[in-house]
Amino acid sequence: MIEEIFVLIYALIIITFVGLNIRKGSFIIEPAKLLLVVIILSVIATFMLYLKGIDIYLAIKSIAKILAGGIMFAGALPMILAGIGLFRFGDEFGPNIFYVRNHITGVIDTVASFVMIFAGLLIFRLDLVAVGFFFFVLIPFCGNALANAYYYSYQRRLRE
Amino acid sequence: MIDVLTIADLTFFWGAFIFMIATAFAGLCAIRLALKGETVTSLMGVSALTTTAGVSLYLIQILFEIEFARDTAIALLVLGAVGTIIFARLFRMEEGE
Repeated sequence: MIEEIFVLIYALIIITFVGLNIRKGSFIIEPAKLLLVVIILSVIATFMLYLKGIDIYLAIKSIAKILAGGIMFAGALPMILAGIGLFRFGDEFGPNIFYVRNHITGVIDTVASFVMIFAGLLIFRLDLVAVGFFFFVLIPFCGNALANAYYYSYQRRLRE
Repeated sequence: MIDVLTIADLTFFWGAFIFMIATAFAGLCAIRLALKGETVTSLMGVSALTTTAGVSLYLIQILFEIEFARDTAIALLVLGAVGTIIFARLFRMEEGE
């Protein structure tokens, strides 16, 4: 029971933090400082687990898995908000709404690739990291090709 | 006594599960986008759908150790992105020039 409560509180803290960041439109805490704090806390937690008698490899694996779960909790909120955005911006906003949708699908792709890369690093799955990185490299080309195709097809329709 | 290994497993499981639900929601929105728009918008929706389906399948492989899900996920992620670029170039050449 205590474990489930810990997971619930952990998820609520992370989702609230991500939501506040999205609502503000910028970072509440600078990413470099946040990363430093997370690394220091992880090292302290691993050391405390080691002092309690847990094997060092198991301690590192446990802390890394908790961090990977946190990254997935953090990625869930932008994914849901991107889906709401795809619903929200319909055809009534004019022809240029395509570029907004292109941006939203770019958000979906970026969140998916970041989750794959960082969760794969933390759970020691290099195949997931490789696929995520390959996909991350291809995202800008996809968005550019789609916007290019829409622009030229729209120009043709204007001429007609 | 709190079991840290159980907490780690539970956190990872629920994180992956909630992320899969979020990707499923985004995938449904992408299906809607693919079905209602014109050709390039449909292509964009299908591209987002392949992304969400690929990530979900990869997480299913990690959580439940189903091996064929990983192969399908890799095929969806790689070929979805490459196919989107190729078809976008095709649409541009056919419709624009």
